[in-house]
Amino acid sequence: MQWNEVVTTVLLALGCVITFSGSYGVLKFPDFYARLHAAGKTDSLAQVLFFVGLVFVTDDILTKIKLVLVAFILLIAAPTATHAITKAAHLDGLRPWTRDSLRGGGQ
Amino acid sequence: MTAVVLIDTLLLLLVTAAAIVIIEVRSLYASAILTGIYSLLMALVWVNMHSMDVAFTEAAVGGGISTILLIGTLVHVGRDEKPIKKRLHVPALLFTVLTGGALIYGTLDMPRFGDPAAPIHHYRVPEMMAQTVGFVMDLPGKQKAPEGFDRDAYRHYRGLDPERFGDVKIDTVPVDPTDTAWRERSPLRNHGLVLPPVLVEGHHPEGGGDHHLHPADDFNGHVPNSVTSLLAAYRGYDTMFETTVIFTAGVSLILLLRRPRREGYLQRGAVMSDQVILRVVSKLSIPFILIFGFYVITHGELGPGGGFQGGVALACAFILYALVFGRSALYRVVPPPVSDMLIGLGVLIYSGTGAVCMLLGGKFLDYSMLNPQSPGDGESLGMTLVEYGVGITVSMVMLTIFNQLAEERST
Repeated sequence: MQWNEVVTTVLLALGCVITFSGSYGVLKFPDFYARLHAAGKTDSLAQVLFFVGLVFVTDDILTKIKLVLVAFILLIAAPTATHAITKAAHLDGLRPWTRDSLRGGGQ
Repeated sequence: MTAVVLIDTLLLLLVTAAAIVIIEVRSLYASAILTGIYSLLMALVWVNMHSMDVAFTEAAVGGGISTILLIGTLVHVGRDEKPIKKRLHVPALLFTVLTGGALIYGTLDMPRFGDPAAPIHHYRVPEMMAQTVGFVMDLPGKQKAPEGFDRDAYRHYRGLDPERFGDVKIDTVPVDPTDTAWRERSPLRNHGLVLPPVLVEGHHPEGGGDHHLHPADDFNGHVPNSVTSLLAAYRGYDTMFETTVIFTAGVSLILLLRRPRREGYLQRGAVMSDQVILRVVSKLSIPFILIFGFYVITHGELGPGGGFQGGVALACAFILYALVFGRSALYRVVPPPVSDMLIGLGVLIYSGTGAVCMLLGGKFLDYSMLNPQSPGDGESLGMTLVEYGVGITVSMVMLTIFNQLAEERST
């Protein structure tokens, strides 16, 4: 195994673990905001790991540049999308989950 | 089971699950988002089949803009499905079962997935594929065939059309679908090229983007992306009328939904421009989305992409602008009369290119007439023009649909 393949494997595996933890968080967390917190953050990081991981196994320099660009654009776009969704929910009047909501019979 | 089949099976299972949930779910918002997910999954299936152009279209049109438009529609029709009594409708069930059964019966005759002996790999497609990677032969100003390339053997193998190449001796070589030794017979085998009954990796010559030319070519050898060659030249009429369908959709929507101009363009509801993050990020990204759209349209001739995908990307930039800064800001950039005119202009560019070809003495949409000295460059020019025509119409129609949906909301 070449060194670049090792780097790629590590990065992709790390990305998978982070994505998995994000998905687990989406299922586990109590309300909309917390779930988006899990999904948004892990997605932003994991996609960077995936794309940077792939950079090491492509031969073509143009493809490498494109992969880095895609990672960069997603790094800006994904958190913005998360922010927009959260803001929309907030404006729509969705209240965040607190311990009181448990007593009050939930959201 | 190969990895491709395994991934395909997983993806198609997810697609089926998404389809079932779309039908079952009550919330129409969830339904609209799930249609986007459905399209993205289908795009992955296409990628898995190496059909990048289709995947690109599916992701841009299905996953991108139609989700936006569906959600725009929800503003009018409400968030939730009206509760209806679910009763068993026997004729409908019968009809569905019969249709489904007939479709399944039809698939029994289809070739296996990825079967190299499937008819699609032997009828017309190999010829098309070979054309775009063919060699320059005896035309001035073009790349020469490599040393030791046997032209006669190549002509023989390809079975050149006697109508167009009367001076070439014709002897068609039929391809036996069960024969896998076809590569051994190909005169191109020593040149790193194969005539692909199956898409083989690396069948493009090195540097792939070069303009290769040979006389048996429907496209004068110019267009490296065989999909664009097929869509814009070989099936040019088809694509032109697809554009016309989009044009008709845009015109119908204007006729049905647009209010009289004297009432003005209303703008109500929240404008997002006071949200700093959204404002900054969209201002940053809109120029790049526009550049990407133009790149996809222009590059459609050379790689995956084209007028439809690029046009949708352009429309997305405008829609993002309208969403963040309000529709009145968008109307200052693209006033409705301008977008209406551009809808027609795109179709005019497409059909006009065809008409110019006729005026220059060729057939309708025979792009090689545009540059008689170098037919390949003519093909290239023609296809780029047509792609721009498609791109302009598609982007402006999508923009108009969005505008009309938003306008209704304001009333």
